[in-house]
Amino acid sequence: MGTIRFREVVKTYPGKQPVVALDRVNLDIGEGEFVALLGPSGCGKSTLLNLIAGFEEMTSGALSFNGGTVDSPGPERAVVFQEAALLPWLTVEQNIAFGPSVQKRPRAEYEPKIRELLRLVGLERFAHSLPSQLSGGMRQRVGIARALVMDPKALLMDEPFGALDAQTRMSMQQLLLDVWQSLGTTVLFVTHDIDEAILLADRICIMSARPGRITREITVDLPRPRSVDQLTDPAFIRHKAAIMAEMREAQKEHA
Amino acid sequence: MNDAPARALDAAPVPAAPKVKSRGLFPAGRTGAAMRAALLPVLVIAAWQLAGSGGSLAGGVLPTPDRVWDAWVVWAFGPQGMGLNPYSGTWLSNVLFSSMRVAQGFVLAMAIGIPAGVLIGWSRAVSGTVDPTIQLLRPIPITAWLPFSIAVFGIQDMGAIFLIALGGFYPIVVNATHGARDVDRNWIRAAEMMGASRFDVLRRVVLPAALPAIFTGLRIGLGIAWTAVIVSEMVAVKSGLGYVLWDAYYVGRMDVVIADMLSIGAMGLLSDRLIVTVEHWALRWRRLQSASR
Ligand SMILES: Nc1ncnc2c1ncn2[C@@H]1O[C@H](COP(=O)(O)OP(=O)(O)OP(=O)(O)O)[C@@H](O)[C@H]1O
Ligand SMILES: [Mg+2]
Repeated sequence: MGTIRFREVVKTYPGKQPVVALDRVNLDIGEGEFVALLGPSGCGKSTLLNLIAGFEEMTSGALSFNGGTVDSPGPERAVVFQEAALLPWLTVEQNIAFGPSVQKRPRAEYEPKIRELLRLVGLERFAHSLPSQLSGGMRQRVGIARALVMDPKALLMDEPFGALDAQTRMSMQQLLLDVWQSLGTTVLFVTHDIDEAILLADRICIMSARPGRITREITVDLPRPRSVDQLTDPAFIRHKAAIMAEMREAQKEHA
Repeated sequence: MNDAPARALDAAPVPAAPKVKSRGLFPAGRTGAAMRAALLPVLVIAAWQLAGSGGSLAGGVLPTPDRVWDAWVVWAFGPQGMGLNPYSGTWLSNVLFSSMRVAQGFVLAMAIGIPAGVLIGWSRAVSGTVDPTIQLLRPIPITAWLPFSIAVFGIQDMGAIFLIALGGFYPIVVNATHGARDVDRNWIRAAEMMGASRFDVLRRVVLPAALPAIFTGLRIGLGIAWTAVIVSEMVAVKSGLGYVLWDAYYVGRMDVVIADMLSIGAMGLLSDRLIVTVEHWALRWRRLQSASR
């Protein structure tokens, strides 16, 4: 189970000039669904994700995960950060083991799993390297392995590939597609890259800024399993054209 | 998945060093660097010797380097218990007296300063309760605590150890506080989302993240600890390098005074190197990091 539900959620950052980051947001994400959150910088994408992650508290509204309230971060809602946010003094293996070890799970149970995950993300040879010895793409793969080792019910990803070069980015997108297609976890994926949103998601929620709202929801009905080769398919291009038109439309309405 | 590991050499291309070119006076490499470093001390000692042999140094009060050396040799290796020279053969025991006091006081400073600083930086409640008091007491120089310390502990070791611990405590606690306060927010969030309790976060994220700042505090604190031991031995204890320093001055043994000063400097340097060695070991991950950035 991994359902996410926002009802009229408002988030205001207090201060001299309070910022209304989210204004009455409604969003339903079903079990095993892959939803991309697409929007310009500053529209509140991270805020939305941080609310469901339990990092921030909403100002008003109702927010639930699997029908229960969200009041703190937890391993059933694993987060993948933009800059990976690995602990620099721990090796790759120790970073991945951090979750199971603070949860006091038996080592015999998680060690084989870590080996398996290292293979899945192609980092077996780097198990004992420090994060600083890895490239950005490799660090992000550790970030994904660190999330997956906890068997999360939902994966919350905040522009996880935003800082990577185009080529590495594509290989990471393919990796994520492969992993998700075999696991079927619920995913909330923040991005401002239209191609990335179409390639990965079942559904794209388009956000606009000031106030931050979800203005459009678009279902992507490209067949699965998908791969990065589809980026140039006519069907893909058609989707992209439609989404860009929708985004222009949304922008006009909110201008 | 074709991204290669970022290696130090790829990340920061260094211009190739010219092969065997000397830089100015000195040959390239380690020998040259050592010669360069030794130049100034050698010149100062030579000038001091020359000026002194004319008898003109501060009206003949300051001894020349060779006499300082002779005094140190007697102080270090001379026979003990000869009435004429009370210092003869006592160098090592005095060095040990001072070092033991520094070690005891400094361990105390660390044992209180590190946990206190990390807790203050980590918890707003602890910070609000403890920090104002520390900030209030901190401007009182340790020298101003001398009469207090003598009154409370008398002329004995505890007084010196109290001053050393107090002097070392402030920089340790202040730096540990900063280190624990400036932890990358995403490290803490990542740990929490992986199921870490508040205590796990403290022990497994905040403490290691604060270590670089803690070591900075330790090095500053150690310098102050040596200041404190000398001051308190001059006034409040009857042994150690500080006691000999003041005593030798009173009986006009400036050769011993200078040998003593240099001994204090050497011990300070040695103990600092000790901390740097531990720091290098404890922060291995950080050296790799700076090499690849
Ligand atoms: N801690 C905070 N305090 C005050 N204002 C904040 C805080 N965090 C975010 N904001 C404001 O809330 C708004 C939404 O921010 P948010 O980080 O959610 O945007 P975003 O869509 O993730 O942007 P980006 O694509 O640049 O990451 C912005 O106007 C931002 O300045
Ligand atoms: Mg953001």
